[in-house]
Amino acid sequence: MTHPNLEPQLDAYLDGELADAERRELESHLAHCPECTRFLDSRLALRSAIKARIPALRAPDTLRRRVRSLQRRARMPVLWRSLAVAASLAVVAFGGWRLGRQRGGGETIADEVFTSHVRSLMPGHLTDVQSSDQHTVKPWFNGKLDYSPPVYDFAGRGYPLLGGRLEYVGGRPVGALVYGRRQHLINVLLWPSDRGAAGAATETRQGYHVLHWATPDYTYWAVSDLGLAELREFEQLLQQADSAAAPR
Amino acid sequence: MEFAAVVLPHLDAAYTLARYLTRNDADAQDVVQDAALRALKYFGGFRGTTGPDGRAWFLAIVRNTAYTWRHRQQGDGLVTQFNEELHSDAGTAADPAAAVDLRQAIDALPLEFREVIVLRELEGLSYKEISDVTGVPVGTVMSRLSRARKRLQEALT
Repeated sequence: MTHPNLEPQLDAYLDGELADAERRELESHLAHCPECTRFLDSRLALRSAIKARIPALRAPDTLRRRVRSLQRRARMPVLWRSLAVAASLAVVAFGGWRLGRQRGGGETIADEVFTSHVRSLMPGHLTDVQSSDQHTVKPWFNGKLDYSPPVYDFAGRGYPLLGGRLEYVGGRPVGALVYGRRQHLINVLLWPSDRGAAGAATETRQGYHVLHWATPDYTYWAVSDLGLAELREFEQLLQQADSAAAPR
Repeated sequence: MEFAAVVLPHLDAAYTLARYLTRNDADAQDVVQDAALRALKYFGGFRGTTGPDGRAWFLAIVRNTAYTWRHRQQGDGLVTQFNEELHSDAGTAADPAAAVDLRQAIDALPLEFREVIVLRELEGLSYKEISDVTGVPVGTVMSRLSRARKRLQEALT
């Protein structure tokens, strides 16, 4: 005789899903039921057939890459929340980005720096390395740039370091550092000064301030929607830190 | 816990489930990518309640995404054709014909049977985890799995 009503229990028994009491009860039934024992054998045969004949599938590399690229976005929401950057900022950024593009061919460094700032405000573009630790951000540039940009953390002065990323300005990869000031972001792009000090400049476009200065070692550009006074204060902090670190 | 640490280790399992649910490689990739995006969006909701490593949590999202995809396909009148390509790499077993037969038998199962077979036999999930992924009670998982195996055996004899 067969025990079709027992089949789910027998499957669960093979799957190791029965509680001790149920298992003991079923085993004492199996001891004198050849039908159910045969049933178990057929299920074991099915199981080994599946193991032998159905190859494990691997996610294709293209899919793996696509999912990995989502990772960068994964880190963004927290940062965006912490900075309370509203959706309106993204709209402003998008408008600015389009204007920046329409300038077309003869882009100046200031254009490129400004565009880089606006692009960085789009989700997922702000940082490649997100850290408030200068000793994490600075080594991150190793092997990515042919110089090691000075990285500071001015959290104690209200300008915390948020991270860094690579940019491409003036036909070469350059380092970009991101600092925060309340809900505002400051992008600092810097590269070794090649033709001595190139002078200082200030520019305002579409509500963003662009500051430029040079130290004996580095050419600096800073962009932010921060008020000009505070952005200048930040510039002073950077200049002081640089001259303090100068005799290297 | 990092999003990537929860999702990336289970990408093979996610792809396997999606591939058997959609029966198509390109659709399976789209489903998994879409699921990963959703996982990202709802990652704040991951509390490790469905197992500490997030496998069941992510597979549940993959399954729901595949079901949504299926509804959309049917709504558009684009019922995906049975995909021969899915069977093309089955020839590694000792008896290629039998391998194809078994795979076809799994593919021919109704969706609710197919998913429990894949989750149990290919991915090794417990009944509780399968219940978490599919949203049906453990007792239903148990009876579906038993009926699914019965169908496979019938198809192979």
